[in-house]
Order: sequence, then structure tokens, then C-alpha cells
Amino acid sequence: MTGTETRREQRHRFVPGQPDMWAFVLFETLLFTSYFAVYLFNRARNEELYLQSQAHLELWVGVLNTIVLLTSSWSIARCVQAARAGGYRAALGNAFLTAGLGAVFLVCKVVEWVRQFRMGNTLTTNDFFMHYFFLTGLHCLHLLIGFVVLGMIVYQLRSPARRSQTLVETCATYWHTVDFLWVLIFAMLYVVR
Amino acid sequence: MSARWRDNPKRELWFAWWTTVVFYQIFGLVFFVITRTQPPPSPGWDAARIVQWFNDNHTGLLVGFAIMFLITGMVAPANALIAYSMRRMSVSPAFGYAYLVMYALSAVPGMLLLCIALSVGAMRPDRTPELIAWIYDFAFLTYIGTMGVFLLGSLVWMAAILLDKNRVFPKWFGYLNLCNALTEVVVSPAWLFHRGVFAWNGLIAWWIDMVVFVTYTAVFIVQLRRLIQREDFETGPLPDLAGATG
Repeated sequence: MTGTETRREQRHRFVPGQPDMWAFVLFETLLFTSYFAVYLFNRARNEELYLQSQAHLELWVGVLNTIVLLTSSWSIARCVQAARAGGYRAALGNAFLTAGLGAVFLVCKVVEWVRQFRMGNTLTTNDFFMHYFFLTGLHCLHLLIGFVVLGMIVYQLRSPARRSQTLVETCATYWHTVDFLWVLIFAMLYVVR
Repeated sequence: MSARWRDNPKRELWFAWWTTVVFYQIFGLVFFVITRTQPPPSPGWDAARIVQWFNDNHTGLLVGFAIMFLITGMVAPANALIAYSMRRMSVSPAFGYAYLVMYALSAVPGMLLLCIALSVGAMRPDRTPELIAWIYDFAFLTYIGTMGVFLLGSLVWMAAILLDKNRVFPKWFGYLNLCNALTEVVVSPAWLFHRGVFAWNGLIAWWIDMVVFVTYTAVFIVQLRRLIQREDFETGPLPDLAGATG
């Protein structure tokens, strides 16, 4: 009876975690798509300025940030996998690894911002830096919320009384979204020529 | 019919819900049509152009904001209904109280400061253009640039929905609250820019935010309606719509 129910439940579950979190992913993707559209539209009108300003960014810092966040996505996926298999110690380890990688990203970002400030580039310098600080700043805000979300994963995994797999997967979906948005921002700000 | 209405235990809730609906309709009408304050005029105008804007909209500003001053009180039942939704949840009453206290303030930066400032500008056309321009900046910056109350309110509502075990709202609506809170942050650069996408009439700071806000408002009004339909005045999980009597 329970086995049949579980199977039925599994057949009904189209996505990992709460389907509701995927609604959030959709909203956020739509929002960021509109921000990107505005950025690309303005960029097309004054390409030279954007290219000149873009030269102030260090491509390797962007690449490093991308690798760090992609690795954190891998570790959170391993956390979910371990929790599914009942390996809660390994899952906790991977959750902490993810938080560590998130912190590395955050430090890189702050160092990069400080470097830009020292070079005299701020939110009001020109249109490129306006979009640069806005997109990276808003993304960083998502990352900070991500730390709260990781905290919830740790809270779930710690006590045998909790350990809701659905919640762990819902939180992991959020973390992947932060990573996914960064990859798009990285492509838009650092790579597009 | 009237006896049924008198005995209907949900009449106060429906009163609050209809007040919310009517308030937002009038709000939209006054801001978008009568006073022409939405979409906002340019933050980049010089004093002479601003004085001309006040002259062009003189009657609209006075009539429109007179209506707003009359109906400001309608936000009270609207906020009370949202706080009620949190009291129906399994979470601590502190969520509902925190929301109420914060939203008791919301009408001040949310519309009253703008209404008062622009009314002053419209009523004193003999003042120097510099003073009129200052009033104009003050009105639109307080209205568009200060979203802290709404940001925190959305987060409180979000936390309550996500922690709730009584299934008062679907969880995706909790996440939509987070989306709305995040767009409230996006308006803050409006203090720095006189033109472009982050100015108070900009594509990102105003247009995209307005789409999110209208969507969010429409969704929460529909969700509150569903809550009233499902309400059984018990303390456990809310029954589904089919089992509820309206």
C-alpha cells in the first residue's frame, strides 16, 4: 500500500522539490530577461562606450567566479544526491562546501567592486557601469538570500526529526538559479563583444 | 436575501475584500488618468518645465488628490485582511502584528506624501519656480524611491506563507512575495539618476517594476478571495474550495 503510494507520488512529481519553487525560477528568469533586454538594447545604441568600459573588467575574474559558482552547483547537487540516499553526513559536508564556495564568490565580487571604485568607476560613471553594478549587485543580493537558503538545508539535515527531502531539493533549486543567473550575467557583461 | 447577508459569517471578510478591490481601482484611476502622475513625468526637467506641468495638470491634481484623501482610510481594511490571512495560518501571531504595524505606515511613503506635496505645488502657483521644482522632486522621490515598508512587508508575508502548515496560500505565492520584494530594491537607484533606465520614470526602475507590482497585486487579491471562500473559522488546515460554503 505504502509502496504503491510512493510510486504514485513519484510518478506525479515532475520536478525536484516543491513545484512552487519552479514558479519562482520562472518569475526571476522573466525579470532578468527583461533587464538583459534593456541592457542589450542600450548597448546596441552605444556599442563603443560599452566596449571601452568593458575593457576595464578583468575577464579572468569573471571566469574564476563562474567556475566557483558552477562548482558550488555541483556540490549542492551532490548534497541532494547524498540526502536522497540517506547519507546525511556527506550531504551536510556538501552543503558547507557550497556555502564556502558561495563565500569565495562573494569575496571575489567585493574585491572586484573595490578595484572598480579605485579606478573611479561607480554606478553613475556611465551606462555600462550602471548596468554592471546593478546586475552584479542584484545578483549578489540573490546570493546573500542563498546563504539563508543553505542555512535551511543545514537545519533540515541536522536533526533526524526533520530531514525533508522536498525542502532540501527546493532549496537546492534556488541555489542553482543563483548560479544560472550568474552564467547569463557573466556572458552579458564580460563576454559579449 | 438580506437576512442571509446578515447571517453570513463572512460578511466582514467580504467587506474588506471588496474595499481592497475598489481601493485599487480608484487608486489606478486617480494616478494614471486624473492626476497623470503615473507613468511619472521626467525627473530631468528644468524648473520652468516643471511649473508648466503643474499648470497643465492643475485641476486634475486637485480633484484626483481630493479623492485620494477621502479614500485613504480604505487601506485599513485591505491591510487588516492580509493580517487576518496570517492569523489564520499555523504561524505565530507576531507575523500578522508585524505586518499590520509596518503597513499602518505604508500609506505615508506609498502615496500620502506625494498627494500632499503635489497638492501644495498645485495650490501655490505663485511660488518661485525653484520651490515648485523642489516640491516636485520631493513628491516623486518619496513616492518611487522609498519602498522599504513594502519590501519588509512582502518578506514578512513570504516568511509566514512558507512556514504555514494550514495551507492558507500556495507556496508559489510566497515565492512571488520574494520576487516583489526584490523589485522594491531596484527602485533605489532612482535617487541618483535624472535620466535613463534607473531614473524614477525609467524602464527598469518604473516600467518593469510596475508590471511586477500590478501582477503581484492582482494575484494577492485573487488569493485573498480564495481564502475567504475556503475559510471555515477553525484553527486547522483550510479545506479545499469544493468543501467550503461561501
